[in-house]
Amino acid sequence: MIKNLYNYRELLKSNVKKEIRGKYKGSFLGVLWSFLNPLLQVLVYAIVFPYIMRIKTENYLQYLIVGIIPWTFFTTVLTQGMITVRINAGIIKKVYFPREILPISVALSGLVNFFISCLIILLFCIIGGLGVSWHLVLLPVFAIIQFFLTLGIVLALSAINIYIKDVEYIVQFIINMLFYATPILYPTTLFPKKIRWVLYMNPLTELIEAYRDIFIYHQLPSVLSILYLIVITTVIFFIGLLIFRKLEKGFAEEV
Amino acid sequence: MTKTSPYSIEVNNVTKKFKVYFDKPNTLKERLVFWKNNKAETRTVLEDINVKIKKGETVALIGVNGSGKSTLLKLMTKIIYPTKGEIITRGKLTSLLELGAGFHDDFTGRENIYFNASIFGLTRSEIEKKIDDIIEFSELGDFIDNPVRTYSSGMYMRLAFSVAINVEAEILLIDEILAVGDQHFQEKCFQKLHELKESDKTIVIVSHALDSIKKLCTRAIWINNGHVEMDGKVDKVIDEYLKVCK
Repeated sequence: MIKNLYNYRELLKSNVKKEIRGKYKGSFLGVLWSFLNPLLQVLVYAIVFPYIMRIKTENYLQYLIVGIIPWTFFTTVLTQGMITVRINAGIIKKVYFPREILPISVALSGLVNFFISCLIILLFCIIGGLGVSWHLVLLPVFAIIQFFLTLGIVLALSAINIYIKDVEYIVQFIINMLFYATPILYPTTLFPKKIRWVLYMNPLTELIEAYRDIFIYHQLPSVLSILYLIVITTVIFFIGLLIFRKLEKGFAEEV
Repeated sequence: MTKTSPYSIEVNNVTKKFKVYFDKPNTLKERLVFWKNNKAETRTVLEDINVKIKKGETVALIGVNGSGKSTLLKLMTKIIYPTKGEIITRGKLTSLLELGAGFHDDFTGRENIYFNASIFGLTRSEIEKKIDDIIEFSELGDFIDNPVRTYSSGMYMRLAFSVAINVEAEILLIDEILAVGDQHFQEKCFQKLHELKESDKTIVIVSHALDSIKKLCTRAIWINNGHVEMDGKVDKVIDEYLKVCK
């Protein structure tokens, strides 16, 4: 599979470019929207939440940004990735190419966007007086874990979506729920110790906490959570790949 | 995969069945509510096909409409997969099933060459080496930098054909497209196909243009009702085929 992908690297490259540029084609600010969007979201939460939830987290603005930007990475890849096979039905029916290229290019374009967005996080950390530490070298590790985690989910969903179109709507709903089940707006300490482990079952919780360790607290994420992330990412990625492999043979007939 | 095998394409005991839904269940609700009703009818398009094509052969697939020849070609490109049996292809493969598959209307001809050739698995440097040949072959001249949506269907077809034919794949699969384009370009295409044939490429063509096929191909496979009716020298097969058609 890797050799096959390597042979088609030009297609992968031009597809990633198309994903990054194509989304906001025709809009005045173009690609800038992919960075502006999460920032505007942060702005709303930063104004609203300290008042209605009475959250007293230090550096709440930075706390939010480090939560929202990885979250945006996750949801953008998910929502675009699960429809990618369907909207490319035209070429799937007419030409052979490794079908994995479609979900992979969506995930890769998300990863590129995320790395650029991290500059915004850094900017806010520096302006807020938090500074930067050597822990930043760990950032790519977690970004890549998140990449494979999301890719695994997207591989499965984009394939299943061809057979059952409801997936798109179900996932949209799950994303909405997951937003509140992930400590983006609130700290996990808000929950009593007894049920807090439920939050930590969610790999996104572990990821966002890790990003916060890197950017805000300047400390090493716990080894246990890294291990948990690696295990669950590997499992999800290979299950996703397996489902995709099983279903891809019918794409040209079913879309 | 052994390199010593003389065959470019091996079709072994291939059966292809399509599900024909009268009302295809697309949503979960439809699947659950009507799960008893949408028993799909299966239609066997190809049954137990065995074809071996040697490297360097130029083969025509002939047969009446709906006989399954296009399906066989699609199976060879790996766009669809056989229900039973296996298909082995050796070497880089290019297909021209429908002209301009994967063209983007808003992109210029030149950008589409890059995009189309990358779908065929070429790298950027490989494309750059060939792009002048491709543009020259297409005879589009200055139009190459216009968006393809402004092209006439003839120009569109010329561009698509120029890309596919210049990819230099070892196996070229072509479906019913030789009838497009003006006389001049058609002849040019045939000349190019002859060149490819001489340079030991494997070519499989589905076509109804029997006269052109006779000149180009060495072997013909007549497919009728999902079976191989006859397989052999192009003249013989076409003669027999014409007898039945009349």
